Amino acid sequence: MALQGPEELGEQVEEPEDLDDQDASSISPAEEITLPPGPGGDEEPEEALLLPWDRFSAWLHCICVVGFDLELGQAVEVIYPHHSKLSEKEKTSICYLSFPDSNSGCLGDTQFCFRFRQGSNRKSSLGCFLETTDRDAPPCLKREQGHYYGYVYFRQVRDKSLKRGYFQKSLVLISKLPYVTFFHSLLKIMAPEYFEKQEPCLEAACNDIDRWPTPHPGRILTLPIMGVVIKVRIPTCYDKPGTSQLVQSAQSDSLVSIVLPTIHEVDLFRCFYPVFFHIQMLWELVLLGEALVVMAPSPAESSDTVLALVSCISPLRYCSDFRPYFTIHDSEFKEYTTRTQAPPSVILGVTNPFFAKTLQHWPHIIRIGDMKQAGEMAKQMKVKKLKNLKTLDSKPGVYTAYKPYLNKDEEIIKQLQKGVQQKRPSAAQNAILRRYFLELTQSFIIPLERYVASLMPLQKSISPWKSPPQLRPFIQQDFMKTLEKAGPQLTSRLKGDWIGLYRHFLKSPNFDGWFRNRRREMTQKLEALHLEALCEEDLQQRIQRHTEVETVDLVLKLKDKLTQAEREQLPVRPGTLAKLRAHIEAVILALPEDLQGILHKPSSP
Amino acid sequence: MALRELKVCLLGDTGVGKSSIVWRFVEDSFDPNINPTIGASFMTKTVQYQNELHKFLIWDTAGQERFRALAPMYYRGSAAAIIVYDITKEESFQTLKNWVKELRQHGPPNIVVAIAGNKCDLSDAREVPEKDAKDYADSIHAIFVETSAKNAININEVFIEISECRIPVADAAGGTSGKGFKLGRQASESRRTCC
Repeated sequence: MALQGPEELGEQVEEPEDLDDQDASSISPAEEITLPPGPGGDEEPEEALLLPWDRFSAWLHCICVVGFDLELGQAVEVIYPHHSKLSEKEKTSICYLSFPDSNSGCLGDTQFCFRFRQGSNRKSSLGCFLETTDRDAPPCLKREQGHYYGYVYFRQVRDKSLKRGYFQKSLVLISKLPYVTFFHSLLKIMAPEYFEKQEPCLEAACNDIDRWPTPHPGRILTLPIMGVVIKVRIPTCYDKPGTSQLVQSAQSDSLVSIVLPTIHEVDLFRCFYPVFFHIQMLWELVLLGEALVVMAPSPAESSDTVLALVSCISPLRYCSDFRPYFTIHDSEFKEYTTRTQAPPSVILGVTNPFFAKTLQHWPHIIRIGDMKQAGEMAKQMKVKKLKNLKTLDSKPGVYTAYKPYLNKDEEIIKQLQKGVQQKRPSAAQNAILRRYFLELTQSFIIPLERYVASLMPLQKSISPWKSPPQLRPFIQQDFMKTLEKAGPQLTSRLKGDWIGLYRHFLKSPNFDGWFRNRRREMTQKLEALHLEALCEEDLQQRIQRHTEVETVDLVLKLKDKLTQAEREQLPVRPGTLAKLRAHIEAVILALPEDLQGILHKPSSP
Repeated sequence: MALRELKVCLLGDTGVGKSSIVWRFVEDSFDPNINPTIGASFMTKTVQYQNELHKFLIWDTAGQERFRALAPMYYRGSAAAIIVYDITKEESFQTLKNWVKELRQHGPPNIVVAIAGNKCDLSDAREVPEKDAKDYADSIHAIFVETSAKNAININEVFIEISECRIPVADAAGGTSGKGFKLGRQASESRRTCC
C-alpha cells in the first residue's frame, strides 16, 4: 500500500506531460528539436497573469447558437460568453454561413466550417501575448489577422411539435485559429450535449476552455472539456514537416481521454478522390493563386475540399482569401462575383446551384458529387472537359482550360489507384498523397529559399556603430539563373516547364506573402545580429572618448533598440537583452546625477 | 512502470466540500472561501501504487442544481465516483443516496463508489451519525470514510482505496487486467476512522 512521492509526481494541467510518453501518447523525434530560445531567453510572459476569459480568448472569440425563427429566418440566439462583441454585419454573416444554403437535405448532424471577414478592427488586450505564442507556429497555423473561422455543428431532425416540422440549429465556434480538425473534434463532444442540455452546458464548456493552457506550439496540451480530456500538440515551424504526430495508445478510453493525431490536417485523399486524376494540376492552380471555385452538394464537402486545396501547398501559406463555404448572402458576394473585373485570386466553396450561373465566367471550376446540369454547364462554358474525366463518374470533375506547366506524374496516380483496388485504408492513401504534395512543394520552394538566403549580407558587414546592413533586392533574372544548376531537378523527377511555373508564381500573391515573411524574418535576424554585436562592445571605454551629449544620445538609442527587440521579439541569443539592460544602466551611472534621474525616469525594466 | 489513467468524478450536494477535497489532495491546501464550481473543474494527480503509476483525472462537478443534468458527462467512463456529503447536514446525505441510485441506473457498470462524509472536524454540529453512514455504505458495498479537507484527514486515503480497487484483480490468474470491482464488491476492511 505504498503511496510514494505524490508531491513529485503531482502535476497541474498546464504542465507539459512528461509522464505521458510512457504510454498514452508518444512523440516523434520532431519533439526533440529544441526550440530556439525565446526573446532574450528570459522573458516568457507569465500565464499566471492572465485574467478571467483571457485563456478562453486565446482559443475562441465566442460561441454562437444559430437557430431558425419563422419570421426572421436564421438568427443568432445566444452568444457566449455574453460580453463578446460581434458587429451586426458579423452576426448576419454568421447567421447565413451557419446553415446549409440550399435544400441539400442535410438531415441529421453535419459539420463544416466557414471563414468571414472581420468587420471592425477590434484590438485584443491579449495581442502581444498571443504574438508570442504565435511566433513558433508554422506559417499556415498562425492566427488569422483580418478573418474569423466559424466551425459549425448543424443539427436538423424531424420534430412534429415545431411549426416547420423540423428542429434546425447550429452550434458555432468563432475563432481566429485555423485548427479545423481540432475544433471539429471539440464540437463533436460539445454540440450533442448542448442540444440536449442547453445553456448550463455552454457555461460549463466555456469555463473548461477558460482554464486551458494557451495554444502554445510545440507543447503537448491537455485540454479538459465536459468530462473528456483532449490531448493535442500544436506543430511548430521547427518541426520536420510530416513528422510530429501524437500517437493514440490502443488501450485508452474515448470517454476518458482522446489523443488527436493532428489539429489541422484534413483527409486529402478523401477530399480529392472525386477529382484525383487532376491533383497535380490543382496543386499548380493553388500555388499560383488562381481563382478557383468548388461546387459541392453540401457545405461539409465544399469546406473540406477548399481546406484540402489550401493545405496542399503546405508548408507554403496560401495567402489569398479562401472561403470554405460561401453563400449569396456573403458581404463579399458582389465583390467576388462581378463580371466587370477578372475573377479575384480566391478559392470559394459553394453549394447553391445559383453559383453555376453566377460564376460561369470563372476560369477553374471543381465539381464534387452529383449536381444537376453538369453536362449542360460544361457546354455553355466552352471549356474543355479534361480527358480523364470519363473514367470516373462523368459529372464531377475539373472544368478548366488551364494547361499545367509540369508534366503529369503518372506514378502517383497509379499508386493511388492501386491503393483503391487493394482497398488500402484511407489514412494510408492520405499519407501518401500528403507526402507527395509536400515533396513537390519543397522541390519547388528550395531553390527560392536558397536564392533568398544568398541575399543576406555577410556577417562581417555588420558594424555595431553603423545601422544594420540592408538585404539585397530580389532580382528575378538572377534567381532564374540559379535554376540551371540548382533548380528543382535536383529533388524532383518531374519534367516540364518549371521556369514558366516560377515566372507565373513570382507574380502571385503566394509569392508576395512568402517573400514578405522571409524578408521580415531576415531583417529581424540582421537587427538581432547587430544588437548582439553592440552588446559585445566595451561601452564604458567608448563613452570616455565622447561628450556628455553624445552619451545621452547613446543611452536613448540603446533604449530604442531594447524596446524594438522586445516588441518585435527579435531572435537574439539568450541573455542578450539582459546584457543590453546592464549596459544601459552602466552608461547612465557614468553620467552626472541630475542626468541620471532624467534618464531613469521612463525606466526600462 | 505502467501508467494508467483513472477518471474519477466527485458528486454531491452544493457546499459539501467536493472542491476542497480535490484541492487538499492535489495541492495540499485549503481555502475556506472557495468559489462555487461552474460545470466542473478538472485536475490531475499522479501517484505510484505498487508497481503502477495511477494518474487520477479528477472531475470535480458543480453541486448546484442547474448543472445537475450535466453529471452524466463526468461519471461516464469514470473508474470511480467519490460521493461527498456534509456530516453536519442531514439533507446532503439524502442527496447522496439519490446519486447512488443514479449511478446504479446510468453509471458505468464497474464504477467504484466511495462515500466521503466531509467536514468531520465539525463533529459538534454533526447531524449524520457515522454508524448510519457506514451501514449504508456497507449495504451498497461502497468505500466509506469520514474526511476533513480542512484538517487533511483521510483525503489521500480515499484515493489509495480507489487505487486498490482498480489494481489488476489477480496477476496470477493472468490476462484479465485492471477491470476493477463491481459495485457489489466486498466492503473494504481498511476503513479509517476519524477524529
